[in-house]
Amino acid sequence: MADGLADGPWAELLVALPLAGMLLALPLGGRQAHRLALLVLAAGPVLALLLAAQLWQGGVVGVALGGFAAPLGIALRADGLSVLMLLTTAVVLCATGLAARAGFAPRPGQGETRAGLLFWPLLLALWGALNAVFLGNDLFNLYVALELLTLAAVPLVCIEGKPEAVAAALRYLLFALLGSVLYLLGAALLYGAHGTLDITLLAARLQPGPATWMAGALMTAGLLAKTALYPLHLWLPPAHAAAPAAASAVLSALVVKASFFILLRLWFDVMPALAGLGGATLLGGLGTAAILAGSLLALRQERLKLAIAYSTMAQLGYLFLMFPLAGGGTEAQPWSAGAWTGGVLHAVSHALAKAAMFLVAGLVLQAAGHDRIRALQGLGRAMPVAVFAFGLAGLSLMGLPPSGGFVAKWLLLTAALASGQWWWAVPMLAGGLLAAGYVFRLLNPALSAGEGQGWRPVRRRWQAIPLALALLSVALGLAPLLPYLLLGLGRSPAAEEGLG
Amino acid sequence: MTAALLWASLGLPAALLLGCLSGRLRRHVPRLLAIAPLPALAAALFATHDAQTEGGSLLFGLVLALDPPGAVLLGVSALLWSAAGAYAGAYLGGKPGAARFAAFWLLTLTGSLGVFLAADLAGFYLAFALASLAATGLVLHDGTGRARRAAGVYLILAVLGEVCLLFGLMLAGAATPGGSLLVRDAAAALPGSPWRDATLVLLVLGLGLKAGLVPLHVWLPLAHPAAPTPASAVLSGAIVKAGIIGLLRFLPAEAALPDWGMALAVLGFLTAFWGVLVGVTQDNPKTVLAYSTLSQMGLLTAVLGTALAAGGMAEAAPPAALYAAHHALAKGALFLAVGLVAAGGMRRPWPVLLPTAVLALGLGGLPLTGGALAKLAVKAPLGEGLPYLLATASAAATTLLMLHFLRRLATAGREAGAEAEPPAAGLVLPWAVAALAAVVVPWALHLGPGDGDLAAVLQPAALWEALAPVLAGGILALFLRRLGPGHIPAVPGGDLVVLGERVARALAGAPRPAWPEGPPRLLRAWHGRAGALPAAWLAWAEAPLRAWPAAVLALLGLALAAAFLAGA
Repeated sequence: MADGLADGPWAELLVALPLAGMLLALPLGGRQAHRLALLVLAAGPVLALLLAAQLWQGGVVGVALGGFAAPLGIALRADGLSVLMLLTTAVVLCATGLAARAGFAPRPGQGETRAGLLFWPLLLALWGALNAVFLGNDLFNLYVALELLTLAAVPLVCIEGKPEAVAAALRYLLFALLGSVLYLLGAALLYGAHGTLDITLLAARLQPGPATWMAGALMTAGLLAKTALYPLHLWLPPAHAAAPAAASAVLSALVVKASFFILLRLWFDVMPALAGLGGATLLGGLGTAAILAGSLLALRQERLKLAIAYSTMAQLGYLFLMFPLAGGGTEAQPWSAGAWTGGVLHAVSHALAKAAMFLVAGLVLQAAGHDRIRALQGLGRAMPVAVFAFGLAGLSLMGLPPSGGFVAKWLLLTAALASGQWWWAVPMLAGGLLAAGYVFRLLNPALSAGEGQGWRPVRRRWQAIPLALALLSVALGLAPLLPYLLLGLGRSPAAEEGLG
Repeated sequence: MTAALLWASLGLPAALLLGCLSGRLRRHVPRLLAIAPLPALAAALFATHDAQTEGGSLLFGLVLALDPPGAVLLGVSALLWSAAGAYAGAYLGGKPGAARFAAFWLLTLTGSLGVFLAADLAGFYLAFALASLAATGLVLHDGTGRARRAAGVYLILAVLGEVCLLFGLMLAGAATPGGSLLVRDAAAALPGSPWRDATLVLLVLGLGLKAGLVPLHVWLPLAHPAAPTPASAVLSGAIVKAGIIGLLRFLPAEAALPDWGMALAVLGFLTAFWGVLVGVTQDNPKTVLAYSTLSQMGLLTAVLGTALAAGGMAEAAPPAALYAAHHALAKGALFLAVGLVAAGGMRRPWPVLLPTAVLALGLGGLPLTGGALAKLAVKAPLGEGLPYLLATASAAATTLLMLHFLRRLATAGREAGAEAEPPAAGLVLPWAVAALAAVVVPWALHLGPGDGDLAAVLQPAALWEALAPVLAGGILALFLRRLGPGHIPAVPGGDLVVLGERVARALAGAPRPAWPEGPPRLLRAWHGRAGALPAAWLAWAEAPLRAWPAAVLALLGLALAAAFLAGA
């Protein structure tokens, strides 16, 4: 690749382009907004790949916006983790944007609708905020990005104006704001104690002490609330289930991962030495509770979207096993930093699989007009491709090979056994078993021979979108070494050596 | 050459699978099922043993290799898959759903052959899981209520088995020095592993479930008969062998583990007799065959257990492979025969029934059949004492079960009607190949690498030793017939599963079908409340968390706990 391409302003564009698109989409109006949004979204994977190439050639990408260096200026930083999340985000948003045309593109002969006008700018704002989170290198900028993310996500939940969606959105907003307050409080404490919020500078200056401990705890709690880790999950299932399917896909696949990403930055980059075994065990324990409670609750839901939302709550639990397992028996791994790599891979493969599942749920709603699981008899005949996509995505959630979910679980399990902490293996395996239970329970009526009611036909190309996502999630399990090498670039040493 | 053969064994089925994606090629795939396993057959015949070939970074570095027992099982499995594939092509050609069936068939085939070829832990697990899960599609194919129930029970237990197997493999891998992920190294390190017992429990659970060991067998008599006939043949013939090859590879080759060997032998013999006892109460000839499969796999497990107790696994592997090879071909041919009889009725029954009778009694050890050679081969690892007596008794019991099968088969043929068309050549030929192979292959193995001599088999003493259990079984069958149908209890197919299903429904809180005569007294108190219990518990645990004060308190509590732990 030419040097010029590798030196381009890809990181800046990834933040600026979606936000510019959002601003432009509003005055353009509903008829043009969706075309513009799709155009901008289509540029996403290209930009993310260019940034990946830049990272591959020159190592960690650091950008000081406007030429002002940190701590005064705003710094962007792209390491392997950022680039992988950016790529995932771009792919999922592209697919979601395409799928959302069914619900939010203007229909010929109809006037502009509120939902059709607002959806596209909100989606672009969400994307810009996600990119800003993944590229941010300053705790205050991360706060701003996180707020923008919340403010874009909440209206997406209630964009159709259904009463239960509005209630769920309010609940989400209030809880997310509570989390923001705690995070901001922690950030303020850190700034008072150390005079900077730039992650690189802060990591070098950090001193243990009550202020630092309190700051870390407050920020962690705030981020946990936004990630909906058990027992702070009360807002997630209603919000994710009530949102329109395309929005649910983005919320479940990406938005909750953004606050988790900041948590990773905080624990592994800012304060790896301070994070003790106790804190890591607490997070792992809550993750375990999330896996078990979320899976059991998913098993009992009567509605498809609620079941998928509870499954998100369970799958998020796996991510928190990274904290106690990071560094565990690193030499026993096929790749270094096994648990850390496994956790990140789980985040990516879950994002792809869960987005596929929610998009299928959207097609089901479109075809049947409801999503009551028991009444989905014969769905497999009506839309075989979509049901197949759902099954493939389920394979990844269960952690069965070949899938990204399997490789992730394998790495986490190896880390658990190699570090002698075998007890963390139990929830992982039980979670897989329960996932098989709820996926089969969702598929079983769809595969039965019953005729069900008259399904509205759904064209194959709509069904192909979730299939592509599900296939990607499975293909992650067969990927050659390259993504893992990429992920290793700019990784914190704590990822290999463990916390504390 | 070896590498090319090994990769082609998996590559051709995978390539045909890709063909299923194209709308134009899809129609032709069902007719090509017979050729998909042929590279594997060639690999079994010509590949150099124990030569490894690596697949780069795919899935932690996939490694293929073929050990001698793997080669035998790969060969017979490929042969059976090929014959059954030809049968399936003729059976399904042009019917709706044929392409979907072919896709599941090829997936299962890839996994089933891969189990014999994979030399690394992740690859073995991948192949095992692929064979297990894709087979669900074969079981489900007919879409009837029976097939769905069977597929449901099968899938739940298969995933349970996967979890046990995965955990066992991970433990085995964690105890392997040098971070090697090869099955061979993991098996060698197993006797000295700090988690030896846990690893063995998990592996036996995962592998034994596939082989149908009691009480993990309940899926087998439901799933095997529910699938279309060619799929039943490969399920019962080839796929259960994934469990056997796993046991052969992971049980320590040299070290003697008396307790473990004893436990396996007990489990094996229990399965062997359980299969016969429940099998003779069944009416459907396919269900009878499925019970016979688990009985045979039980006997084989008992052989391995006895060998393990004495530290003779290395010597027991070739005979066990011969036994499994004969069972694969014979059982496959028997299932195909059921399909022929159902398709063709009983207009001219003898050309099908007579070879079927020989094969069926061969499972009991009828002299000069492949079965007699298989029984002869496992005589050495069984030793002299009680295990040998039990194995002889099980041969008599198997004969009884097989005579019951032949009666049920004849009845099924009469019910199919005398006016039915004779079965098409496309159905008869694959059956004939499998049936012939079930006799020829054991002889070839016996005289070839087994170094067995002809005279030992033909001695009058040896002939009598093989014939006696068959005669005993025949006499037992006569007694049973005199007893009459009224005295034989009707056991539902899948026996213990009926209890399991009620427990599962209760746990899921789903509405249950009423017991026909009210719940049994033992369960009556529990019956009323149990269904609501998990639901109530979960709702109780979830409700407070959804209330605002509790949620905010939890948030602040977490912050404080985190601060405390960070400071500590």
